[in-house]
Amino acid sequence: MTKALMDLHDVELAALAAAGGRREFGELVRRHGSAVRALLRRMGAQGAEADDVAQDAFLHAFQKCAEFRGEGTFAAWVKRIAARLYLKRKSKDARYVAEIENEEITPAIDTPGLVDLDEALKSLNETERLCVSLCHGAGLSHPEIAAAMNLPLGTVKSHVKRGLDKLRARLVPEPAQYGRTAHVV
Amino acid sequence: MSSDEFDPAIERLFARTPHMQDAPLFTADVQARLESGSRVRTLALTLAGLIGGSVAVRESLHLNLNLSAGDAPVAGKAIGQGIETVSANAQGAVLTAMDQLGMANLSLGSMNGMQLFWLAAAALIALAAAGVMKLSQEA
Repeated sequence: MTKALMDLHDVELAALAAAGGRREFGELVRRHGSAVRALLRRMGAQGAEADDVAQDAFLHAFQKCAEFRGEGTFAAWVKRIAARLYLKRKSKDARYVAEIENEEITPAIDTPGLVDLDEALKSLNETERLCVSLCHGAGLSHPEIAAAMNLPLGTVKSHVKRGLDKLRARLVPEPAQYGRTAHVV
Repeated sequence: MSSDEFDPAIERLFARTPHMQDAPLFTADVQARLESGSRVRTLALTLAGLIGGSVAVRESLHLNLNLSAGDAPVAGKAIGQGIETVSANAQGAVLTAMDQLGMANLSLGSMNGMQLFWLAAAALIALAAAGVMKLSQEA
């Protein structure tokens, strides 16, 4: 990897990639690959599936690189592509659960200080996890999530709220109840 | 922690990227898929160029015949004669060169020297087309 390539800004690299620069695009993959993979895992994709979708997302991004204008970050742009690809793949497999389920929230009383978001996300059901990850991880608005998941807007808002309530209970347990405070980092 | 405080905290957590040990492997996989896609595209374009070149050469031979038959307008006839002259000159030059190299009677199966000449011309057109495509991708 040349020093010059590493010094270039994402927008410059994307412009070079749009002109067919595969090496420049490789640098973008190196910088943001883990972030995209992590988002897909947080949405519920398993290891190999997450990596497949992440690869597809980057190939998509390479073909559409000219459309990236640098209005947001490159990582956010690819994350949105990846999130939509994953939803498309999932919609072929199963229907989303539209009903709000009553699930027990298990507080993370064994967490000694730092709290792991990935662990906390496991306490959410599949749809809540998707909605929260799309909203706070991929940066989609509630109406965009509703359109992408083919769910009513009100249902999406409920899923996001319930998901955040569960995360809050996991990540920030009441000090009086559990005897210590976990730190959200 | 209130909802107003918690939402930005969650976004900060999502923005944090965990370290992945196989990150270089992932990058290499994406680059390999990019390269293989490019190779397939180049191959497809080369094949298309080859087929297109062959068809173009075949059609130009037919065009010469049609124009010399006297059915075409005067301008077309003039162009046809021009092409015929250039073609005959090119063929003559190549035949002379082939003769000097002792290849005038060269045949490949049922093909004679002239057919080989047109085949080589078609291949060159296809190669040139593929080269232009490749250069445009590299730019």
